[in-house]
Amino acid sequence: MNLQGAAPLVILTILAGGLPGVVAIKRCYGLISAVAGLGLVVALLSIPYALQAPVPALPAMFTLNALSLGFIGLILVSGLLILILAAGYWQAQTPLRREEYPLLFVAGILGAAVLAAAANFMMLFIGLETMTLAMIGMIAYPHFRPGAEEAGMKYLVLSGMSSSFVLFGIGLIELSSGSLNITQIIAATPADAASREMLIAGLAMIAIGTGFKLSVVPFHIWVPDVYAGAPAPTGAYVAVIAKLGVLAVLIRVINLPGVSLPAGVMTLITVIAILSMLAGNLLALMQDNLKRILGYSSIAHLGYLLVAMLAAGTIGQVAVVFYIVAYAITMIGAFGVIAVLSRSSDARDIDKISELRGLFWTRPALAAVMTLFLLSLAGIPPALGFIAKMYIMAAGVHTQLWGLLAVMVVSGVIGLFYYLNIILMMSMKPHTEEPLPGVLAISIPNRLAIAMVSLPILAFGVAPSPLIALLKLMFN
Amino acid sequence: MMLAMLLIVPIAGGLLAWLAGRFSPLAVRIVSLLVLLLDLAIALPLLHGTSNIAMPGNWMAGFNAPWIPAFGMNFRLGMDGVSWLLAVLTILIGIFAIIVSWDEIDDGVGFFHANLLWSLAGAIGVFVALDMFLFFYFWELMLVPMYFIIAIWGHENRRRAAIKFFLFTQGSGLLILLSILALAFLHQQQTGVLTFNYFELIQTHTFGTFGFLVMLGLFIAFIVKLASFPVHAWLPETHTEAPTAGSVILASILLKTGAYGLLRFVIPLVPMAAHSLAPVALWLGVGSILYGAFLAYGQSDLKKLIAYTSISHMGFVLIGVFVFNNIAWQGVVLLLVAHGISTGALFIIVGSVQHRLHTRNLAQMGGMWTDLPRLSSFGTFFILASMGLPGLGNFVGEFLILRGAWSVAPLITVIAAIGLIPAALYSLIAIQRAFHGPVDEERDTHDFGTRETAMMLVLAAAIIYLGVYPQPVLNIAAPSLNNMQPQPATAMLKETRAG
Repeated sequence: MNLQGAAPLVILTILAGGLPGVVAIKRCYGLISAVAGLGLVVALLSIPYALQAPVPALPAMFTLNALSLGFIGLILVSGLLILILAAGYWQAQTPLRREEYPLLFVAGILGAAVLAAAANFMMLFIGLETMTLAMIGMIAYPHFRPGAEEAGMKYLVLSGMSSSFVLFGIGLIELSSGSLNITQIIAATPADAASREMLIAGLAMIAIGTGFKLSVVPFHIWVPDVYAGAPAPTGAYVAVIAKLGVLAVLIRVINLPGVSLPAGVMTLITVIAILSMLAGNLLALMQDNLKRILGYSSIAHLGYLLVAMLAAGTIGQVAVVFYIVAYAITMIGAFGVIAVLSRSSDARDIDKISELRGLFWTRPALAAVMTLFLLSLAGIPPALGFIAKMYIMAAGVHTQLWGLLAVMVVSGVIGLFYYLNIILMMSMKPHTEEPLPGVLAISIPNRLAIAMVSLPILAFGVAPSPLIALLKLMFN
Repeated sequence: MMLAMLLIVPIAGGLLAWLAGRFSPLAVRIVSLLVLLLDLAIALPLLHGTSNIAMPGNWMAGFNAPWIPAFGMNFRLGMDGVSWLLAVLTILIGIFAIIVSWDEIDDGVGFFHANLLWSLAGAIGVFVALDMFLFFYFWELMLVPMYFIIAIWGHENRRRAAIKFFLFTQGSGLLILLSILALAFLHQQQTGVLTFNYFELIQTHTFGTFGFLVMLGLFIAFIVKLASFPVHAWLPETHTEAPTAGSVILASILLKTGAYGLLRFVIPLVPMAAHSLAPVALWLGVGSILYGAFLAYGQSDLKKLIAYTSISHMGFVLIGVFVFNNIAWQGVVLLLVAHGISTGALFIIVGSVQHRLHTRNLAQMGGMWTDLPRLSSFGTFFILASMGLPGLGNFVGEFLILRGAWSVAPLITVIAAIGLIPAALYSLIAIQRAFHGPVDEERDTHDFGTRETAMMLVLAAAIIYLGVYPQPVLNIAAPSLNNMQPQPATAMLKETRAG
């Protein structure tokens, strides 16, 4: 059995299995974080090696091609950045045992990677559940925070429900086609009406589950509460890693040869895209909590992404992946700023907009970086989000999706309101001369993580060519 | 390469100024001043240069480097007479903006000057970009720093004004982006090449509804920036609430980018559609002239009054652009420069009045001539200049525009000329209420010092020069106006007229 093609998955599995052993030997948060980070780096470095695999590894379980390995790379990079944030976030005086957080973290990454590469529905479900269960633990991790527990409970119930939808859908598909292989189900389904209907019902069930995970309208209700309740690094994790895994599957399915979406499905996705863009931006207007705003903003961004998914052709595909990259890095950055400002021992994070007041005067560099992230989310140069938005618009113009583009423009302008509001708040004079809590204690890993996130946002926002070239490799 | 330096210097200089803020405010101011002087030293010699990159038309300098090849986007710059005039105006006004901030800005000096320089860099970029996407990039880039300048250092209602400014310009910016993308893909359909090169896109055949929509997107965005009636709503508030340096840059430079966009992009790229829209544009111009003048007449806030006069003057620019002849376009260029100087000067004066009287309300002024003779005489001079007094720059610009418009649209010309009457009214009333009459209360009688007087003298000399002997400026602009009527555009027009 040649496992070269599955090298990142193998490494992640060893890492997830081995970390508890490290905890057993020595309970040291720094050590465990370092081992986890090292493992993620090794997994990341193994991707070029995996790409050169002469024979596909575990073809019955995984599709390991440039696309899925690219997504795994993306998951690993994002995971690494969030891990660095988390390492600085859980301070020693926090009244809990910090060492298990990296365990959950790595298990979730493993789940997302499995999901991204799954070739059959069983692996898909296993990946999804591994990721989700780890995330529930991470959301409710600070058990002394009532908000976190509530968020964890909410996510447990709702994601459990969406998982059962997916499972039921998988059952129906298996019944209609006799196959669990994602690439073969449509071909394998008998042409009789009953089987077809069962297949469609099954796919619809899975679509509902996917909608929950992607948090598009009308499956978005859980987002603000969970984002607000979760500790900041977990917030970034939920906003980025979970979406990356699901989007990877979605893009792989859309890119399958011979798959053309029927007109009805196209209309449905269009409606979902429009509703997500508008609802996300409109609901964010009324919020005073930064994490909630980021949650609603992520709903709107998923709406933009759907626009690009509807746009066919290479330009649309690359636009989707480019947008995902921009979204992922920026979200991590925005949650990172919250994480840097907050103390994990407090009852909640520093996430009220009013708490950011005067950041430009107390910590100008951090405020400038946060402004960059917000500009990126709003799609304004010189941030990466601008190029991403242009990419999506280009794809939309190419496919002549004028209605969707009009909605995108309108909702983009609405979105400016709340992004600007945050920037304004940061620019106002602070009430007192005292710096914000936590401001003085920005640790080295935190500085490192914020710098590592903001650099690509600025650099690729000015010169995106290298990134475009890299992402095009995923579609050769 | 010099063109690229023209942009790199203020961007890097902005960073430097920000860093200098750690040491002392004075260092920031000196660094910023030196940066702009260096930029000026780069810009001035370009006047007699010729482009070393082959481009159709008359160009003084050019630069080209790959940027995003996947989309056929290049870092393509070019400078002709109009670009040169506006770029030099930008740098000069920038220098004055730094000087007026010398006393006014005390907080966050480093960040303020960084924003100032970046915003200027964005404006210069707009004036020299010849790749449509690069142009849009700079267009957006000048907004964010300006937003900060208004939002952080503005007056009482700065937050509202800043948000309004940003929403208007950003919303219209997205229209530009859509139009540019649509144009590029139309070009791709016709030729099979995806490019954002200005000279390639000019060759695109933009007939029918699609071409019209492309034009409409660009047109709306540019007249928002020009603050033409009925999309002017952002201007009065923004100009009023911005700090002096911000108002100066907004009125003298940012408004001009709208006019520049119309001349450089709308007319050559979508000539057919632009011609078909001309009647509407002319009436909008007339509407702006009258509406701006009447509202200016009714203002009690001196700064707001000047803001409304800008709307009125930009109405002349709109008319001048859309009568499609060289005389009017020369007038447009001249008026842009002259208005940049005179309005800039007026905002500086209002800034100094507010600094001394702590009010912008005309009712609380009066009798300033006795206390502040220098300030008042310069104020009177620039108000008269902006009104269009013969012998001063603005008059020449407006006259040329009306002269050019007469042969094309006599009725419009007549109504626009009537607009000069309310202009005289509001100007004289402003002079009367602010500078004449009795002194009501005790006030700071600290008149213009050497720094301010010198600044005013330079600006006044420039306005007089433009009014008395505008020929050199017209000579600089003339060859570049042919760039605005490129052969593909005229061929396209002939084709449609014949068919």
